[in-house]
Amino acid sequence: MARLKSLFLRLWGALLRFWHIVSRPSAYLPLGFLTLGGFVCGVIFWGGFNTALEITNTEKFCTSCHEMRDNVYQELTQTVHFSNRSGVRATCPDCHVPHNWTDKIARKMQASKEVWGKIFGTISTREKFLDMRLELAKHEWARLKANDSLECRNCHSSVAMDFTKQTRRAAEIHGRFLTTGEKTCIDCHKGIAHLLPNMTGIEPGWKEAPELQGKGSASWHGPERAVSAYLAEIERR
Amino acid sequence: MTLSRREMLKAQAAGVAALAANMSVPAEAQPVTGGVDSLQIKWSKAPCRFCGTGCGVMVGVKEGKVIATHGDMKADVNRGLNCIKGYFLSKIMYGSDRLTQPLLRKKNGVYAKDGEFTPVSWEEAFDTMAAKAKATLKAKGPTALGMFGSGQWTIFEGYAATKLMRAGFRSNNLDPNARHCMASAAYAFMRTFGMDEPMGCYDDFEHADAFVLWGSNMAEMHPILWTRVTDRRLGHPHVKVAVLSTFTHRSSDLADIPIVFKPGTDLAILNYIANHIISTGRVNKDFVDRHTTFVKGATEIGYGLRPDDPREVKARKAADAAATTPIDFDAYAAFVKDYTLEKVSALTGVEPGFLQQLAELYADPKRKVVSLWTMGFNQHVRGVWANQLVYNLHLLTGKISEPGNSPFSLTGQPSACGTAREVGTFAHRLPADMTVVNPEHRKHAEEIWRVPHGIIPDKPGYHAVEQDRMLKDGKLNFYWIQVNNNLQAAPNSTGETYPGYRNPDNFIVVSDAYPTVTAMAADLILPAAMWVEKEGAYGNAERRTHVWHQLVNAPGQARSDLWQLMEFSKRFTTDEVWPAEILDANPNYKGKTLFDVLFRNGQVDKFALSEIDPGYENHEAKHFGFYVHKGLFEEYASFGRGHGHDLGPYELYHEVRGLRWPVVDGKETLWRYREGLDPYVKPGKGVEFYGNKDGKARIIAVPYEPPAEVPDGEYDLWLVTGRVLEHWHSGSMTMRVPELYRAFPGARCFMHPEDARKRGLNQGSEIRLISRRGEMRTRVETRGRNRMPPGVVFVPWFDASQLINKTTLDATDPISKQTDFKKCAVKIVPVSG
Amino acid sequence: MRSLTVLGAAVAAGLVLAFGAALSQEGAPVKIVPRLTGTADPMALERVPALGRPVVDDVRRMRNYPEQPPVIPHAIDGYQLTLNTNRCMDCHKREFTEGSGAPMISVTHFQDRDGQVLSDVTPRRYFCTACHVQQSDVPPLVQNRFQDAKDIGRKP
Repeated sequence: MARLKSLFLRLWGALLRFWHIVSRPSAYLPLGFLTLGGFVCGVIFWGGFNTALEITNTEKFCTSCHEMRDNVYQELTQTVHFSNRSGVRATCPDCHVPHNWTDKIARKMQASKEVWGKIFGTISTREKFLDMRLELAKHEWARLKANDSLECRNCHSSVAMDFTKQTRRAAEIHGRFLTTGEKTCIDCHKGIAHLLPNMTGIEPGWKEAPELQGKGSASWHGPERAVSAYLAEIERR
Repeated sequence: MTLSRREMLKAQAAGVAALAANMSVPAEAQPVTGGVDSLQIKWSKAPCRFCGTGCGVMVGVKEGKVIATHGDMKADVNRGLNCIKGYFLSKIMYGSDRLTQPLLRKKNGVYAKDGEFTPVSWEEAFDTMAAKAKATLKAKGPTALGMFGSGQWTIFEGYAATKLMRAGFRSNNLDPNARHCMASAAYAFMRTFGMDEPMGCYDDFEHADAFVLWGSNMAEMHPILWTRVTDRRLGHPHVKVAVLSTFTHRSSDLADIPIVFKPGTDLAILNYIANHIISTGRVNKDFVDRHTTFVKGATEIGYGLRPDDPREVKARKAADAAATTPIDFDAYAAFVKDYTLEKVSALTGVEPGFLQQLAELYADPKRKVVSLWTMGFNQHVRGVWANQLVYNLHLLTGKISEPGNSPFSLTGQPSACGTAREVGTFAHRLPADMTVVNPEHRKHAEEIWRVPHGIIPDKPGYHAVEQDRMLKDGKLNFYWIQVNNNLQAAPNSTGETYPGYRNPDNFIVVSDAYPTVTAMAADLILPAAMWVEKEGAYGNAERRTHVWHQLVNAPGQARSDLWQLMEFSKRFTTDEVWPAEILDANPNYKGKTLFDVLFRNGQVDKFALSEIDPGYENHEAKHFGFYVHKGLFEEYASFGRGHGHDLGPYELYHEVRGLRWPVVDGKETLWRYREGLDPYVKPGKGVEFYGNKDGKARIIAVPYEPPAEVPDGEYDLWLVTGRVLEHWHSGSMTMRVPELYRAFPGARCFMHPEDARKRGLNQGSEIRLISRRGEMRTRVETRGRNRMPPGVVFVPWFDASQLINKTTLDATDPISKQTDFKKCAVKIVPVSG
Repeated sequence: MRSLTVLGAAVAAGLVLAFGAALSQEGAPVKIVPRLTGTADPMALERVPALGRPVVDDVRRMRNYPEQPPVIPHAIDGYQLTLNTNRCMDCHKREFTEGSGAPMISVTHFQDRDGQVLSDVTPRRYFCTACHVQQSDVPPLVQNRFQDAKDIGRKP
């Protein structure tokens, strides 16, 4: 908390000083100096900004707040994204912060809301966190649904999956739902890194939407379906 | 004609099709070779062999072999369900290393402590054993002779053992492994209600609005009771479940209120709730005034360690741990006032919000609460206190002895209640809640047993942990262990148990069905019949007595513990074991064997073989020539009938799926101490805790006191031990069922991922787990069913190749003498090389 | 490893015992081999074998008898089974079996405590892992001589 505050204050102070200087025209300095100086300052500013961005984009930073450390981080430690065969692991920002710059900045702006949450203690206890879990999870599901599970795909490229290395069950389902673009990762893989909220009414990805039932190529029983549809057709006549 | 399974199925399908088409099938196409008779299975009822839940199972027998088991639809406890262990009961008797012949350590053809196990006849086994017992009696008297039994003994076996030890050998050095398991619960019942065993029953589950699990992981340890809790919780959304534990486990998965507290601080939470009830004005004044009195317990009572341990020397009231003094409500209220929300939250590490929610479950007069606990409370250096503190909450609010309001002590062994407690196989107990220190109780027992007055010794014998210490110190020299695996189960086996068993002065006999580590450390191994290889009776946690028939024969020369006890008693005459002055005063007992005076006493041998159901085998009865089981049961039942422990007539138990005592006029009692539900409550009383002379229960004021050993700079982790779902106790049965073994093939050390990373340990790394007493090797588990908080590790004790009890501390509750297996300090280092 | 050798020896001992009677009639002295000897130290420290890995080959295993709960032949790592959600039901619930291709939970699982058939899994059967377990890729510790009913009492 204190770190956040001091970071903001420093940035704000730098901004004020900068404005004070740039708001007046230059009287003595040669243009070359100004251009060069501007470039140097730009590098310094840009570097500083990015450094700050990078600092806030680490698991260490995320878990420096007890809300994250005691709840979601503890849950992550129990999963395959924390420890696994090859030791390649995902940290908080890998899944929760977009990797390309514009989206990242947009997400960081959104994070200001989280700062408010921190200040007002929205999830300051486990009790409050459990009560909020459904809402918080829904935000992330919606985000990942909207960006076609972009953060999953940063590591798990569907085209790079070797279906012969997957269990038959997984290969089958990925073949039917993922590669066809019918579903995106988050539709089926909810709660892979954290405990789930109350899932009443939230159905698994492979549950066909009612409007698709009996139509899609997704059925295991295409031929039988075709026969029964044919019979039903005859009945009607 | 032989058909493969597939062909047979096809043929059956064809048969069905033909039937559907109303066609007749030619005779040669009959699908069942040998006729339908060859498919018949004989189904009989029995209780499950494992935990204290007491599920009913149906056992299928074909040609003398158990070929299937399933949950008994007619058994009220489980209504057709079993847990994974119960579904595999059919395989527990068929491990290929069953012991089928007595084995004696021999060198050059004679017994030697350092000899090799050699098969011997029962004759030779008993001869050697009797000679050792007689030599011990002669040299040191009855106090050097001891027996360690179990809550897995059938009621008959426990009853025969207590008779043989107390009235035969005149030794009270008889204790069950239930001492490690629920002595604290039993002592707390006696101290609060003056009578052992719960007032309620499992039917409370279907009436409760809230369940509070105090340090119990029912999802794994009592899975079938957990199905009833789950049924209630998921089926009725208003129901709440609170789970308190020192780590997160499978029961926490159903918790509305998940609480992880620092080890030992549950005492403070209990006092905080009492304070909350009082300070918010929710005490049921009328109930408290009419049915309770208040006492204050002695404090600084020590940790049941050896008397020269500095912690014992320092403990002011170690010698007088059980003392209480009367106080009044105001003094009690003032006492718990210290346990404020802030203070308790800081001490326990639990969020105030959760503590408040928990306290409200008890305080809210409209909510019916069931409190449940097992080893978290009982295996606790203040276990008796913990039990009593939870009774406080139910008594303050009057939430007791009625459907849905129930403080309920769960049990871990199938007959911990029925045999260990009710029969009274503890070092201080006699049947029906009587004790050896009470002269009237002794006299009454001697009368029922038809033995001379003065036979039963008046001093309590050595309790479980003390037995190990006395074996090590050479004061207990002849020791018989039946149906348990104490070298694996006992605490600090490095320092006490193993040196005790291997002490050259001692002769150790182990009766078991399999070569357990205890058996291997013995001098004589007696092969035992198990479960449905004998007629039996168990008593579960809700006072239900459940009887079964012998369904198959034991392999080889394996014999039931009952047969062993009774047969062994034939080798002693009264002149050898009873004092001359008693025999002189009662000359008609002279020259008789212990078998004659204890089992051919006109009562035990009263029922003829003709009374046995002809549909079933009965090895012991045929061997001894009378219906032993019925005789022992009826003699035992005479202790309790008319005294609130009434059992029904023996035959009735072969018909029903158990009955909950007191069984009065053929009717079982579901809730005790409440008028209209319990025939023993006098009309007009409403509620009467008739175990106490004043009819009132005790509310006790006792504080939080710290555990015996707390992690420090060097030994920096708490060690908690316990069980897993797939294995029962020391695993001697479940590890031999391939499916159960492969479901959880070895112990491991559950620890927090950051605790592991800090020590440079990977998931699955091999480690040395070291305490001040000993060390063991295991592997790291940072994931899976148990999620540990930082600083706490959990290691199950079922694995004979990873003996966690080499490291545990032999601290006990000073009142109940029950070991604390849940709290000691250890360190963990990687295995190098 | 130790437990394996221990039990291996114990199995051997059991076999010796089983045939002991026959042998002793011929006068051959019967001695019990290792682990059951006076010198073996049950308190020794020995290497602990690596933790077994669950079998996840998706092959359904034959049951020992019809009442036996089938074992789980697939990965369940990270599957949540809590008050909030039941990952098993996401595939094995009647409504989802078509999409998932998983076997439907047994009809017995629809019966409540009183034997009434409900429209969905009975809450008392909610926690699947109380009865259904995975198997590790380790050989059994001790052979079991349990006999299949089909091999007993069938006369040609």
